[in-house]
Amino acid sequence: MTTYIIRRLLLFIPVLLGMTIVVFATVALSPGGTGASLLAREGGMDPRARKAIEAYYNKRYGLKDPLPVQYFRWLNEVSPIGFHQNEDGSRGRFGIKMPDLGESLVRHRPIIDLVKECLPITVLLNVITIPIIYVIAIVAGIRAAQKRGKFADIGMGSVLLGLWSFPQMLAGVLAIGFLASRQYAKLFPTNGLHDLRSGSMPFLPAFTPVGFNPGWMLDMGWHLVLPVLCLCYVSFAFLAKLERGAMLENIALDYVRTARAKGLPERTVLLRHVFRNSLIPLITVAVNILPALLGGAVVIESIFGIDGMGKLTVDAALMHDRELVLSDALVLGFVGIVAYLVADIAYVLADPRVSYD
Amino acid sequence: MGNRFGVKDFFVMTLLVVLVISVWLSMKQRDREWEVMQSIHNQGDSQSHELAQIRRLLAQGIQVTGMSPTTQGSEASQAGDPFKYVKQAEAMPDYATGDWFIDNLQTKVGVLTPLVSTDLYATVVQGRVLESLAFLDPNTLEYLPQLATSWQMANNGMEYTFQLRRGVTFSDGEPFGADDVVFTFNWTMNPKVQAPRDRAYLEKIKSVEKKGDYEVVFHFKEPYFQSFDLASGMNILARHFYSKYTPEQYNQNPGLLIGTGPYRLSDPSSWRPGQRIELFRNDQYWGETPSFDRIIYEQVETETASLTMFRNGESDTFSAQPEQYRMLLKDQDLIKHTQHFELSSPLSGYIYVGWNQSRNGKPTLFSDKRVRRAMTMLTDRQRICDEVMLGYATPADGPFDPLGKPQRAPDLKPWPFDPSAAKALLKEAGFEDRNGSGVLQSPDGHPFEFKLTYPAKGETYERVVLFIKDSFAQAGIKVDLDPTDFPIMIDRINKRDFEAISLGWSAEPEDDLYQAFDSSQIKDEGDDFISYANPELDKLIEEARSTVDEPKRMKLWQQCSRIIHEDQPYTFLYRNKSLSFMAGRIKDVSTSKLGLNAIQRYNMPIPWFVPKASQKWGK
Amino acid sequence: MTNAAMAGSLAAMPGEAPRPEPAPSPRGLARRAVDDTLASWRTKTGLAWIAIVAFCAVFAPFLANSYPLAVKMNGNWSSPAIKHLTPVDWTLLVVAFCGVITLGLSRLTFFRKLLVLLLILAVELPLAFLFVHPPIVDVFQEYRDLQRQGRLQAVIGCPIPYSPTDRLRDHPDARLTPPSREHLFGVDMNGSDVLSAMIHACRIAMAIGFISTGIAVVIGVVIGGLMGYFVGWVDLFGMRFIEVFEAIPTLILLITFVAFFGHNLYLMMAIIGLTGWTGNARFIRAEYLRLRNQDFVQATIAAGLPLRSILFRHMLPNGVSPVIVSATFGIASAILFESTLSFLGLGLIDEPSWGQMLNQAAGVSGTFTWWMAVFPGLGIFLTVFAYNLIGEALRDALDPRLHGIE
Repeated sequence: MTTYIIRRLLLFIPVLLGMTIVVFATVALSPGGTGASLLAREGGMDPRARKAIEAYYNKRYGLKDPLPVQYFRWLNEVSPIGFHQNEDGSRGRFGIKMPDLGESLVRHRPIIDLVKECLPITVLLNVITIPIIYVIAIVAGIRAAQKRGKFADIGMGSVLLGLWSFPQMLAGVLAIGFLASRQYAKLFPTNGLHDLRSGSMPFLPAFTPVGFNPGWMLDMGWHLVLPVLCLCYVSFAFLAKLERGAMLENIALDYVRTARAKGLPERTVLLRHVFRNSLIPLITVAVNILPALLGGAVVIESIFGIDGMGKLTVDAALMHDRELVLSDALVLGFVGIVAYLVADIAYVLADPRVSYD
Repeated sequence: MGNRFGVKDFFVMTLLVVLVISVWLSMKQRDREWEVMQSIHNQGDSQSHELAQIRRLLAQGIQVTGMSPTTQGSEASQAGDPFKYVKQAEAMPDYATGDWFIDNLQTKVGVLTPLVSTDLYATVVQGRVLESLAFLDPNTLEYLPQLATSWQMANNGMEYTFQLRRGVTFSDGEPFGADDVVFTFNWTMNPKVQAPRDRAYLEKIKSVEKKGDYEVVFHFKEPYFQSFDLASGMNILARHFYSKYTPEQYNQNPGLLIGTGPYRLSDPSSWRPGQRIELFRNDQYWGETPSFDRIIYEQVETETASLTMFRNGESDTFSAQPEQYRMLLKDQDLIKHTQHFELSSPLSGYIYVGWNQSRNGKPTLFSDKRVRRAMTMLTDRQRICDEVMLGYATPADGPFDPLGKPQRAPDLKPWPFDPSAAKALLKEAGFEDRNGSGVLQSPDGHPFEFKLTYPAKGETYERVVLFIKDSFAQAGIKVDLDPTDFPIMIDRINKRDFEAISLGWSAEPEDDLYQAFDSSQIKDEGDDFISYANPELDKLIEEARSTVDEPKRMKLWQQCSRIIHEDQPYTFLYRNKSLSFMAGRIKDVSTSKLGLNAIQRYNMPIPWFVPKASQKWGK
Repeated sequence: MTNAAMAGSLAAMPGEAPRPEPAPSPRGLARRAVDDTLASWRTKTGLAWIAIVAFCAVFAPFLANSYPLAVKMNGNWSSPAIKHLTPVDWTLLVVAFCGVITLGLSRLTFFRKLLVLLLILAVELPLAFLFVHPPIVDVFQEYRDLQRQGRLQAVIGCPIPYSPTDRLRDHPDARLTPPSREHLFGVDMNGSDVLSAMIHACRIAMAIGFISTGIAVVIGVVIGGLMGYFVGWVDLFGMRFIEVFEAIPTLILLITFVAFFGHNLYLMMAIIGLTGWTGNARFIRAEYLRLRNQDFVQATIAAGLPLRSILFRHMLPNGVSPVIVSATFGIASAILFESTLSFLGLGLIDEPSWGQMLNQAAGVSGTFTWWMAVFPGLGIFLTVFAYNLIGEALRDALDPRLHGIE
């Protein structure tokens, strides 16, 4: 088992490198190259000014260097082992150092700050979504397995399939259009995560002389209802079907027959024995869901105006912000690969029948 | 084996997690309370500092009145009273100070530090905190003194001497003087400072010389018609504050903003992107007391969110697209509580279609003047303004706005929308439908077809381009659409890799044709990307740029406008009207020649106020 | 030998007592899967909707067109609609027509039928592009103007007399109107009729679905097959290759490619295919790993058959079932993917697509134009739902374990 893990970890590095090369190549080979975003900002000026700006940025970020040089320079910055950078920019000694994600070319801010701002928001969305999905999926799956073949099962199956087919962006657009606009019903806020005055709101709800003040926590919660709703319906449909399938698979096995023969009530058989075993595929899928959700439910974030990792990535790609695109790809790729590794390990831990030796 | 992981364990785990999260959240809350207390503490500190200063002054026997220092600061200087509009407002019966003004910038601001920041919206904020030597009166288009009280030109515009205002302090109490002006220039020209754009503009200045504590001289390399603009428009930075930073530190810090202006940040070095931009009234201000206690800049990007905020009264401004504007005008509820403006301003520039005359070294079908003129006559610009822009635009017929300085020859008649005359011109140039296919052909049989490039994300651009496509189709010309993302477009413009392009130029009160139409700008990725060259025009432009005498210069520009009219290097489409809403409680908002009477772009005193009875915030 | 032949030969032994009829041997997997799938109500519903979409896709130029089907002017009949058909229109019509006919021919096997269709396509395509030349510019209001001037003696229009790119320049007030009698689904931001756009968008939906998934399946099968067959270094490298592709953030790749080559339909299809093949490769690899040690494979190797024959003629039919199911779901997700891309603004411009219409609904300044969201959204939803239903039915039919229970 340990050899397997070590082997996977070692293989993880070339995969990560391979991915970054592909992404870098794509950004670098597109027209405008790596400097496109910078020059875009300065468009429409005195050409002499533009020349000066180009020269300045080229020197500062090394945009005119050959592509492999640019790539390796970036790699050096980002890896924990590499050449240190001296104050004046020359190469220092080789050793262990802090990885530096660089600075966004478009926003002129260190990327680590941007990630620190956006990541918690995406994580928050997911941390709320995942338990909801799981609880609903498990309950629905068990119900469906209990009533297999009957109308409730088939009906629920179709409804779940329908939900799975419903495009997320349509859901978002309809939700905002009907539930959060002045034309129809303004039940929810349109946008963002916080109300304007949330900066001066107390944390918990309070009754003040002026009226009910929802407090920061409740206010954010209210803003989160619609996005979370749109995010979770696709996943829980998928998981519910998975759970049902897993339950049915287990019900066909011998130990269930034995349990029933022993005289145990059907309910105990299902909930105490079959249920636990049916969780196995769910566990492995859980870890696979993480990179997808972290990629940030791009559409939902754009529709609802939430500044999470997804929106960050899209903005970076659209503006050809080289540093941000590379760093985002790195972060997301890293999380993805780790997630797959954890999924495999979790699978081994959860199911004693499986081993990798 | 067997995982004895029961449901109970699951509950316990969840409970633990919830507990941890609530503890963490309450710690965050405590943190926020701490920050609020800190800022109150700071305010108390600065107030006691000011009290100490006043006491000191009293001890010295200097009179301290409760009103603004009318004797020192706001007296009318050389060319006029910088506060004339403010004083007009103050004379109104319901004038009052107080209340907050909440403006909405439609984007997230990344950097507020002057010179380093590259976006337009940061300059809005900087315009309230920083000041320059003089600024443009939006109605008379004359210069009004700000930090300078008078100025003289010498040596045919190669030398400008400014006498600086005395008794001005920065918002932290330190005095302003000639050293700050010299510092500002040198700091901008320091190659280590990340200010390539400003450096390029100020490059025409040879040096700035201090001639005494309150006098500076600007030396220019050559006579240039915008020299005074450059010298007087430089935002003055505080030497005592900024010289504490090395260029690297300066470049990295996004929130270094302090100046002599009517407003200030609560802390000139601690702002970080993502935080609200809140400006407080500068109690040390040398001029008339600005009316708002605070100006807050929201950074909400999404249009629906901005509109909602405005409707709820959470922001005081909203700028609308034509479609939206028309719809909002029908909302009675909204109209009752707000004011709205449709402004034509020379600053908004124009939208055009540029015809590329040379591609890969070979002349294109647009190199013939008659073809370009025919294109213009096939485009019904009035209809574009009426249908696509819903009447909120005026047709443009040249690069000069008739509302700005008189650069346009007054007797020019715009080319009419006349498809038959256009067809005749095209026939003359060799394009006609020889085989009845409904499409015009060139003399060697190729159908008249071209790709029209335009910015991909612009909703209005798309509708304009589709309109052009349909109009041209009726005349037998095929137009292919080529929406391009902006970064790619810049690259293609540089490489001259396009056939026709639809873009816009923004403008100044006085426009310089050099950038876009002078043939020297064709090479080296200059901005004459349509490869238009007319030697006569070049000569006139050069002469105009070095003519400092304004009436003479205007005659030269007018001749230029005639040449452009003949040659039609662009088909000028329209000039946008800016459509905006403002909260109803803000008074004395009116229009000027350059837009609203408090132009966001320039650092000029704001004559707006809110009467005591309708004040909303800050009580 | 077929069952009938066997039964016949048994019975034909003279002089012996008639033996009991042998139990009919089970149908082949493919036959049974197809039968079961077609029998399920889910498939029937799904196929019904897809048939509607396919019908719209093929006959779009006759269903929704600004050019009338037939006009009589100066005593002569002519058909503007036919005159303006593009090579693609002709191809679709021919393929649909021949497809229906060949489906009826029961003599040929499925593969032979496919081959015949492909042959017809290969002959027809170059002919169409050589000989069909519709007018280059479209002046949609031409015939409306003629009608208004009274110069047409008779007009037979299409059921929906608007083309999707007809921006109604002669009726500028129609822009952005909600559903009405003239425009059953309303009018969009640019002035195009929404129902017409939806009908023409069916083409893109079908094309994207099939072609992207086709590409994904082909690449996945080839790579997965090679990996599963030649274990060892090939497998090791192949798995890393797959992991690299899975780790690449698809959206970034897509946006950059679109920026490079422009908003091109074929490019989008290629990219969606190129990023979706990893799942198929994994399935095939797993199946081939299982199959390679089986006797029949060993036999083909011993017989000295060429590699491509072993991989694709013998092993593939046995291992293909998870890929077929995944492909069906893949079509659905390709359609969803395309609409997401169009929604983000990366789609095509002058050609209508459901995702692009949805984009308009969301973006339009402040108001919510519900007809731009509901109708295209329903289109996407129903199509995706249909494919998912069929995929589910296929999966149930192909899964051996479920046959004991249900």
